[in-house]
Amino acid sequence: MNAWLVFAAFAVVAGIWTVAWIWIVTHARSPVPTKAGEEFDLAGARRILLPLLCTVAFVLFVTSLPRLPYVHARVRRLGAPVAHVAVTGLQWTWQLDRDTLPAGVPVEFAVTSRDVNHGFAIYDSVGRLLTQVQAMPNYTNRLVYRFPAPGSYVIRCLEYCGIAHHVMQTTLVVTGAAGAHP
Amino acid sequence: MSAAPVPEGVRDGGALRAALAYLVTGFATFLLMGLLGLHMRLDQGGLMTVSPTWFYRIMTLHGSGMVAGTMLATMGGLAAAVERTVRLSARALWTAFLVYMLGMGFIVLATTLGGFAAGWTVLYPLPALGRVWTLWAAVAAFVGYLFVTLGFTFYCFHIAWQIAVERHGLGNALGWSLWRKTEPSDPRRPRSAVEIIATVVTLQGVFTGLVGAAYVVPVLLKDAGLVAALDPLLEKNLAYLFGHQLANLNIYFAAAFVYALVAEHTGRPWPASRHVAVAWNLVLLLVLLPWPHHLYQDFAQPAFMPIAAEAVSFLVGIPSFLVTIFGALGRIHRSGMRWSVPMILVALGLWGWVTGGLGAVLDSVIQVNQVTHNTLWVPAHFHTYYLLGAAAFTWAYLYDLVTRLAGVPEDRASRVAAWLYGVGGAGFVLMFFLSGAAGVPRRYAAHLPQWQPFARIAVPFVVLLSLALAWLAVDVVTRLRPAWVGAGTGTRN
Repeated sequence: MNAWLVFAAFAVVAGIWTVAWIWIVTHARSPVPTKAGEEFDLAGARRILLPLLCTVAFVLFVTSLPRLPYVHARVRRLGAPVAHVAVTGLQWTWQLDRDTLPAGVPVEFAVTSRDVNHGFAIYDSVGRLLTQVQAMPNYTNRLVYRFPAPGSYVIRCLEYCGIAHHVMQTTLVVTGAAGAHP
Repeated sequence: MSAAPVPEGVRDGGALRAALAYLVTGFATFLLMGLLGLHMRLDQGGLMTVSPTWFYRIMTLHGSGMVAGTMLATMGGLAAAVERTVRLSARALWTAFLVYMLGMGFIVLATTLGGFAAGWTVLYPLPALGRVWTLWAAVAAFVGYLFVTLGFTFYCFHIAWQIAVERHGLGNALGWSLWRKTEPSDPRRPRSAVEIIATVVTLQGVFTGLVGAAYVVPVLLKDAGLVAALDPLLEKNLAYLFGHQLANLNIYFAAAFVYALVAEHTGRPWPASRHVAVAWNLVLLLVLLPWPHHLYQDFAQPAFMPIAAEAVSFLVGIPSFLVTIFGALGRIHRSGMRWSVPMILVALGLWGWVTGGLGAVLDSVIQVNQVTHNTLWVPAHFHTYYLLGAAAFTWAYLYDLVTRLAGVPEDRASRVAAWLYGVGGAGFVLMFFLSGAAGVPRRYAAHLPQWQPFARIAVPFVVLLSLALAWLAVDVVTRLRPAWVGAGTGTRN
């Protein structure tokens, strides 16, 4: 999912809402309707909007289900992981049992924490946030991801974990040798 | 408001004064916390240097202070609105106020003197494992949270209880009596939409208080060595259930002011109706359910929880949108009303509530949340419906109340200031949304050079917002003395 597409969707819908809002606001001081049919038809608008909003909610919900980020859904879409990485977060560093991974194949990160909650987030070289999972003490969260291309990827902590939270990062190298199994 | 007021002689005149104290103290807290927020944006824009130690202390105080301060103001506004038709006890309101303020004092001391910087969500086990602040600072912060929660719960219980007593039962207070054949004068019928809303939100408030205690007390016991271990996932669920409820309640408390002000200023009544009762009874149920959307990235959580939370997140806003927001817009349209400061703020609040809600709905799509969670998209949407939603409604009510009690007319410059509040606020939150789309993490003391332009562009908007708020604050302060006198007699012009 590209976050800029999310912003574009937000801008379009917020824009439509803003135009409607401006229309109402600029007509607030207009004379009070005296004839039938001139009033704002609240009940009529609600009769249209209620099924419309429920339909949009239903469609959004159903279409979101096949692309869940959870292990089973990603394995179904991407295939079984061919590389595995054990990740441990601790104030304020990441420990990975390997830092070179293949591109183009599913990789599984088994993410945990030794102290507090951390957020394991993968950014590409141009600064785009690609995927993330929480690193929690006492739990192991499994994240399956397929790196789209070789290059250098940055791991940042996205769950506030104390005063050096912003320096908690490391680098992953993804090589072009897809299928270069561990 | 169209509701029949409580007759003089049975009103507790001090209740309105107590409500005013809540509103003004909450407003002052909001202004101070806003200045801390400006410091954070200056630092993130590279325009000022704040050490990480202080940045995260400021962040913690800003977050907890904003939530507590705005909540306090909405509590005061709600008491003032309810007090028109239901007898409230000044003693009960002052007691809750003092306990709440004691809690806020502990939080201020914990962050400023104790160096506590675990963020307002105080997510277990970070408070005890901060490494640079002492356990005592964490304990002080938790004690502060406990007092705030206690004061809030007591206040909510008092309001819900009083309305239920006045309407001869909780069901009647929730508007269920509207399905029976009753005369308008029947005491079982809610006198205004505000009564139904107040019952719903204060019942939720009592529940939220209990959840807050269920989170804070075990953590305190753990810190004292009386409990060996806590489950981090369970604690996270409790922390976010508490935080989610508190943040959402702030908005729903403030929504009551929309009903009161829109009816008053447009001259179009907004009585307790079946529509209002259905919408708000749905809110009572639906708001309780979507907290797991804060834990989408905790993959260890059973999968049904995020999926169900996503579905509820899509539905939760529909009753409010159709009944409250649409009801307000329909009454404003061609009402012939005059644009006053309160109505400008209400109109801005309606815009911000929907716009922020839209950002929240997008963030609640699990797939989207993968790239927006804990980026600045999160503060983007909640600042939008806080600053330009709940807070705007609350300042509208405060301004209206003080102006009416003091009997002083507003001037043109104040109306311009109110519109500028919207311009400043919109520019400020837009930069947050853009930062979120660019993947900029939230709660970061140091921003990379490529992230800094967003914060730099936001700063002039924050300054504009601050100036607009300062202008309105001067209006409030200069009317406070006559308003205080007026509050004692309950005379609203």
